[in-house]
Amino acid sequence: MAMRKKGSHKILYSIFGWTVVLLISFPLLWMILTSLKPQSELFLIPPSLLPSEITFEHYVRLIHETPFLTYLKNSIILAVGTTVVVVVIATLGAHSLVRFSYPGRKSLAVLVLYTYLLPSVVLIIPLYLLMVKVGLSNTLVSLIIAYTTFALPFALWLLRSFMAAIPADLEAAAMIDGATRMQAFFDVILPQAIPGIISTALFTAILAWNEYLFAMVLINNDEVRPLTTGIMSMLVSSFNIEWSLLMAASVMMSVPLIIVFAFLQKYLTRGFGAGAIKG
Amino acid sequence: MIVTRKRLSLDAKYSILGAILIAPTILVFCTIIVYPLIAAIYLSLFSIYTPTMEGQWVGFDNYAQLLASGEFWRSLLNNIIWTAGTLSLQLVFGILVALMLHQNMLFRSLARSLILFPYFLSTVVAVLIWRWMFNDLYGVLNHLLMWAGILDMPVDWLGSMPNAMVSLIFIGAWKYFPFVVIVVLARLQSIPESLYEAATMDGAGRFARFIDITLPQLKDVLIVIILLRTIWDFKEFDLIYLLTGGGPIISTQTLPLMVYREAFALNQMGNASAVAVLMMLIMLVFMTLYLRKTED
Repeated sequence: MAMRKKGSHKILYSIFGWTVVLLISFPLLWMILTSLKPQSELFLIPPSLLPSEITFEHYVRLIHETPFLTYLKNSIILAVGTTVVVVVIATLGAHSLVRFSYPGRKSLAVLVLYTYLLPSVVLIIPLYLLMVKVGLSNTLVSLIIAYTTFALPFALWLLRSFMAAIPADLEAAAMIDGATRMQAFFDVILPQAIPGIISTALFTAILAWNEYLFAMVLINNDEVRPLTTGIMSMLVSSFNIEWSLLMAASVMMSVPLIIVFAFLQKYLTRGFGAGAIKG
Repeated sequence: MIVTRKRLSLDAKYSILGAILIAPTILVFCTIIVYPLIAAIYLSLFSIYTPTMEGQWVGFDNYAQLLASGEFWRSLLNNIIWTAGTLSLQLVFGILVALMLHQNMLFRSLARSLILFPYFLSTVVAVLIWRWMFNDLYGVLNHLLMWAGILDMPVDWLGSMPNAMVSLIFIGAWKYFPFVVIVVLARLQSIPESLYEAATMDGAGRFARFIDITLPQLKDVLIVIILLRTIWDFKEFDLIYLLTGGGPIISTQTLPLMVYREAFALNQMGNASAVAVLMMLIMLVFMTLYLRKTED
């Protein structure tokens, strides 16, 4: 507030601010630096801060000598599959919760909130037994179903607040013009809800991309393992831990997130506003 | 409903349409949330050996045994220490960094992105980075601290107590404080500037303005943040399991880790379900009390 008097204040303050920011982001920087160092350089004492030579050998090995690409493919299928299933169901459900009236609607909304906060460990044992019983264990479908247990309540909660912000008059106007309710939904409500749907889809995809517990319990086969448990199994199974390889895998796993941050970040912060403050 | 109230038949039609739209949600909820939830409570009344899945009705024996066991109470205590510790750090860091980003600085939106990033980062990736930095022989942290003269010898950050719990709390704060930053920052930007101007004219200093204006304005948002983050931190599994696995021995084992260990390492599904149900009850009691206390 008193800052705006002089430019020099702003510079000084920026130096202070950026020191804090860089300290907080140091682990991310260290991940990238480690992934670019030759293996021999990791075990220098004291460690070198910047790599003496930059190498991409770990990335090459990751792709050619480890099942990384299989894990990556599985993670993409999981993220896309979960997002499509959850967003379609949640968009219809949220529209119904916001714009229609029928018995039990209010208690349903409360139920959504409670399940949104429900711990996964409570559901995991019965879900594991269920998947074994119906013969779905060790499949990606079982994981998409399991991810729906936390992603759907979350998506409903988020979309409900987004869709409640769309003025009711819009739908009424469309119907005065002769549209049916479903036409009004597709022609008027849905286009208005697109930013909210994009936010929800991004959050859902990130949740699915990062999930660990269900993947560990339900998947026991390298062919269908996603990145999270796959990379951890690379850590556990090796004789001597190859940190530069693991850091290269970590960087690769974070690339989609970096892309989202670079181009779609406003949808993430908008989601915070809708989901967290109004909660 | 919105347009006409004239014809009851139209209302009824709309109710049916509304029910059709919500039907997939209800179907999914019943099969993969409500049914497993009831099943978890039911399973907790059995003694079940995981590999054979043979169960025997034991009534409330699982609960009686748990409440009499030291491990349950120790895990609950660990859970409370972890939650209270990491949440306090998240709030302090979160509010401070939000205040910092609220000021005018160069490349502010880039700074905000960098601060936000750890929150969305996969826990697996976060854990790998920190385990590498905390490595006792080649980790950068030990070397920096020794170079600065703070340490004489490398420290085992994750394998001994109390270091393991402290590291856990700290890394949890690093991963989750951006949530506080973003929500508080959004609220800060909506506090009217005129409030500050009036206070400045009355001679209030920086600190007084923070206490008298900023904090009261943040109160509502902080109440929600504390509720959500308490619940999310309390049920955290991935970060703790991957960083320490609950160790050394059970020094950092929280209730979610105990559920997993009972079910899949000790093969006692009935016991595990009982822990899960108790944990859920504790969270429900906390939520109810908290909401009642903060209602006004």
